[in-house]
Amino acid sequence: MSARAWLLALTALLPVAALAQPAAPPSAAASSAFEGVADDARHVLGGPQGRGLSGPELDARTGQVAALLRCPVCQGLSVADSPSTAAQNMRHQIRDLLAAGYDDQQVMAYFESSYGEFVRLQPPLRGINWLLWIAPALALLGGGFVLARVTRRRAAAGAAPAAAPEPVAASIDPALAGYRDRVRALVHDEDEAATGASRKDRG
Amino acid sequence: VNRKVLLIGLAVVLPLAGILAVNIKRDPNPSLQRSPLVGRKAPPFTLTPVGGGAAVSLEGLRGHPVVVNFWATWCVPCFQEHAVLLRGARAHGAQVQFLGVVYEDEEERVRSFLSEEGMAYPSLLDTSGRTAIAYGVFGVPETYFIDADGAIAYKHVGPLDDATLEENIGRIAPRAVTEAR
Repeated sequence: MSARAWLLALTALLPVAALAQPAAPPSAAASSAFEGVADDARHVLGGPQGRGLSGPELDARTGQVAALLRCPVCQGLSVADSPSTAAQNMRHQIRDLLAAGYDDQQVMAYFESSYGEFVRLQPPLRGINWLLWIAPALALLGGGFVLARVTRRRAAAGAAPAAAPEPVAASIDPALAGYRDRVRALVHDEDEAATGASRKDRG
Repeated sequence: VNRKVLLIGLAVVLPLAGILAVNIKRDPNPSLQRSPLVGRKAPPFTLTPVGGGAAVSLEGLRGHPVVVNFWATWCVPCFQEHAVLLRGARAHGAQVQFLGVVYEDEEERVRSFLSEEGMAYPSLLDTSGRTAIAYGVFGVPETYFIDADGAIAYKHVGPLDDATLEENIGRIAPRAVTEAR
């Protein structure tokens, strides 16, 4: 296994915190400059595969896509969350690409073509990355299996020798302890009455 | 107890220790990873130079090797490498086109910087930041060496020194370096 694979395997054991990043509200500033966007994207991606968005739908989608991209000049912030100029420029670019009819996947691919897979906050499901996604589930299943086996074996081992039943007192709900004591006192009194030791009257 | 517990423990701990051992010296700085653009066609751009004048288009330079340097006046290493780039452009300007692309800076500051520090090639304004995005710029300075066919041969992150500049000009224009010697 390569160093990269090991690194990914390690990462797989950690909670994928990045997934929990909420989508930030779309950037308010609309890009006025449309120069050369389509040209550059066409150079990388070919033609748009979606329909051009506009209005609130465009705002919302821009925020969604920006939340999936890593701001290259920040430490662990998405393009949606970062106030940096670089992130702002990227949001404008996302917006223009979506408006031009490029779909989410194309927009992501556009940024990936220049920044590499690093720019995606969610590692895409391909190659060694599968490990990242399935390892937590496998670890959970494995853990559950081991736990089930151990519990079953313990249960089996515990059943064999006739273990002395645990005293009730040890396991009683503390809320009920008062009632138990009263019952005990009553029973005790009855016993004493039965043996004719004392107590003439009751209640 | 038990061998089994020990084995399971080792099975968990050893791979983790292995990962640590292999990666402990790795620099997590993403800008130092190999750019996906290396070996591919350089993203086209058409930008206006600082101080006005006709827009410069990369496509228009096809057939010439090009050095594209992303920089800013607020960037200290850029200041340090400026002299290196001036020397390089003066030595190889006939064979290699040098271009500066201003990254997140104001034209006025750039203009006064260049008039003080000297200028041997055009610096272009990337006001929308789109060219920096297209080139996957993480920060400045970053320098792209583009061969005569328009493909990116090398990306250098951080300030250039004379030797590194010469070496990489050699990649895109082998003759330029031997002639200059």
